[in-house]
Amino acid sequence: MFRAAILRAARTASQSAVRAQRPAFQRITQTPFLQSRISTPATSISAIRCYASSSGLGQDEVTGRIMDLLKNFDKVQDQSKLSASSHFTNDLGLDSLDTVEVVMAIEEEFSIEIPDKEADAIHSVSQAVDYIMAQPDAH
Amino acid sequence: MARLSGLQRDVLTLYRRCLRACRTKPTETRANFERFTRKEFGKNMALDKKDFGTIEFLLRKGTRQLEIYEQAGVRNIAG
Repeated sequence: MFRAAILRAARTASQSAVRAQRPAFQRITQTPFLQSRISTPATSISAIRCYASSSGLGQDEVTGRIMDLLKNFDKVQDQSKLSASSHFTNDLGLDSLDTVEVVMAIEEEFSIEIPDKEADAIHSVSQAVDYIMAQPDAH
Repeated sequence: MARLSGLQRDVLTLYRRCLRACRTKPTETRANFERFTRKEFGKNMALDKKDFGTIEFLLRKGTRQLEIYEQAGVRNIAG
């Protein structure tokens, strides 16, 4: 019974293949509903996938990940001042060396490399979020 | 943060280089390297920022030390 099913499937497949191979001028003579059935083979439906499109990092997600990272950083003196807009030095009491460490940790978290010049310009959570959002390969 | 002088930025650059070098170390001992880096920089935290001669000397010393410790043969560090 199984073999019969396979044979039947093979036969219908070969028939449809033959039908698909027919030259276009023959189709004109066919009835409209038949024509519409075979004029769109399944292979043409495949959707376009853009692998280069952005990973879709949301602003909230980036902020959350950076805040988590700072929460686990033992040198943050006042956890209550930790917010999406806190300044590393003024609010969190970090010195310049700690700031370097935070920026390096952010680099690792998002698997990117921040050049020294840009890294020196990041002094607050919001600046870090803005920088990450501007990086297409951050994830 | 106040604008940093060129010398202060050199210190931060060295610190960043050290931390980057820590990443190349084995996972088990990486924390030791990071602790060592922090301690070495912490030793001279109280230095006056106008003490250019000392800072420049320490920068050179630190760079030389980094070059030794970042070699792949160095797998662990005490401190």
